[in-house]
Amino acid sequence: MNLQLLVSGVSTGVVYGLIAMGMVLIFRAVGVMNFAQGEFLMFGGYLCYTLNRLLHLPIGLSLILASLLMGAVGVIFMRTSYWPLRNAQARAIIVSAMGASIVLKEGARLIWGSIPVTVERVVNGSTTLAGSAVVQWQYVAIIVISAMIMALVYLLLEKTFIGHIMQATAQDQYMASLVGIPVIMSIGLTFALSAFLTGIGGGLLAPLFFLNNTMGATAGAKAFAAIVIGGFGSVQGAIIGGLIVGLVEAFGGAYISTTYQLVLIYVMLVLVLMFRPQGIFGGKIQEKA
Amino acid sequence: MKQLNYKFVIKYILPGLFLAFCLAIPGFTSGYMLRVLNIALITYLCVLSLYVILGMCGQNSFAQAGLWGVGAYMAANFVMKMGAPPLAALLLSSLGTAVFAFVLGFAFFRLRQYYFTFASVGLMAILNGLFMNWNEVTGGALGITNIPSFSIGGAIIKSEPGNFYVIFFICLAAFFLMKVLFNSALGRSFMAIRDNEIAANCLGVNSLLTKSIAFGISGALCGAAGALYAFLAGYLSYQTFTFQQSTMYLIMIMLGGTMSPSGALIGTLIISLLQEWVRPLQNYMQFIYGAGIMILMIVQPEGIFGGGKAIYDKYLKHSKTARTEAD
Repeated sequence: MNLQLLVSGVSTGVVYGLIAMGMVLIFRAVGVMNFAQGEFLMFGGYLCYTLNRLLHLPIGLSLILASLLMGAVGVIFMRTSYWPLRNAQARAIIVSAMGASIVLKEGARLIWGSIPVTVERVVNGSTTLAGSAVVQWQYVAIIVISAMIMALVYLLLEKTFIGHIMQATAQDQYMASLVGIPVIMSIGLTFALSAFLTGIGGGLLAPLFFLNNTMGATAGAKAFAAIVIGGFGSVQGAIIGGLIVGLVEAFGGAYISTTYQLVLIYVMLVLVLMFRPQGIFGGKIQEKA
Repeated sequence: MKQLNYKFVIKYILPGLFLAFCLAIPGFTSGYMLRVLNIALITYLCVLSLYVILGMCGQNSFAQAGLWGVGAYMAANFVMKMGAPPLAALLLSSLGTAVFAFVLGFAFFRLRQYYFTFASVGLMAILNGLFMNWNEVTGGALGITNIPSFSIGGAIIKSEPGNFYVIFFICLAAFFLMKVLFNSALGRSFMAIRDNEIAANCLGVNSLLTKSIAFGISGALCGAAGALYAFLAGYLSYQTFTFQQSTMYLIMIMLGGTMSPSGALIGTLIISLLQEWVRPLQNYMQFIYGAGIMILMIVQPEGIFGGGKAIYDKYLKHSKTARTEAD
């Protein structure tokens, strides 16, 4: 029972971690929380559904194609709802992202309807561990795939030229443009990477929780809690935060109460904010005068 | 002289005409439309509360719908469990929500800027969870039904026009109170914090206390709105008081312009009425609405009223320079 909860908690946790990573990347690049990140998850899931169920491609291929398409969606999102507003106040960008999230949500409803759909599993069947714990292979696949993607993103950001460009832009856009970095391309890449990460999460979660056009809000809210708990602006923090949220959800749901799941997560968020506002991994953030 | 006339028209005659028009509204609108307007005016009180905390004090809160719910459930409980008269319940729940928000403000405003916004998102989710699950007080998932209508003294106000006048006058009072607040020392210290918190501290503004007061005032507005909603609808459900509702308030105030109560009114009315008028297009409505918000933010990030005011100011300045050049 506990092992089973652990596996399901970790596997939903890593997906929250993926969404949270996407959010953190955008936050670091442009300094504004992306309120449409949850919708990327939903949209990625639906793209995967289109490729897998409507065009009958194998699930692996459709996951990859769907997440690449999500990269394009990310660039479009950046071009329409962030770039024109880059010099405006942060709250104008937040509201425009909310508008974009409504557009994505309603667009998905108009295209795919509001009946929940699902996609194929990456791996079928289940195994029994330690006597009584039934673990579905899909959970294991989610953990493995997500871990691989996280490692690749780490390599991309820390070891490659493009990653350095993205980090430089995130640190200081003006300075980056002075040393010859095309800022729009670099920010576009960041948005694409963020949407890619979140979109693949949607395709992975779809067989476990049915896809519908309103799933983005809850997933986005949990990823948001994950970021704040893990440490604001830190990529490792986002992953750890995602794991914590997933585990709290799984164990809290089993042992305390399923109705209070979300409340538990948010009580934790408020407590973390009260006693360690920079989160578990966050460094001290300086305040601008 | 001509200048003065323009100002006079804009300051007194137009609002006067608007007021007269508003008072005449129940004469020519259907009961259904009045209901929509009533809800819109209640929403306006909540948006006004966002004006205090965001427009004046510069702190973005996503907990307003939660405070609205606190007010609504408080009023319902005062009337149904303690037998308080509705008018007293309205005042008490407004006051109670204000105290609730003020105390929470002390805890939450230890966090600054973004972090406060995050905490307010958390507060919203926690409050919604409580509304859904705290059966003794909120009726849980079933909600509270059969809340009596509003009454003053012995006169029960049940009809839509009657409710409209009650809500309208409370909105009007709130509007003018906001104008007074804007010009008071307290309002100025709110704006000092909005513009530069450190500078405000240097000038002797206690920012923690001041921000908590701002949150308290916004709580009072939300509490009054909640009580009015409880009496108007007669039924409370946790599904009304959601995070989505809070984001709606933010969109409304950003649409109208954060810098004035009038902007808040314009934003509220546009969104509330648009949803009714374009009902035949219901299927595409939300989509158009989302796209509209994006387009508006791109072309007019200051909101409709903010943009209009900027044009008016530019015109004034232009005509002034034209006159000085003529001299």
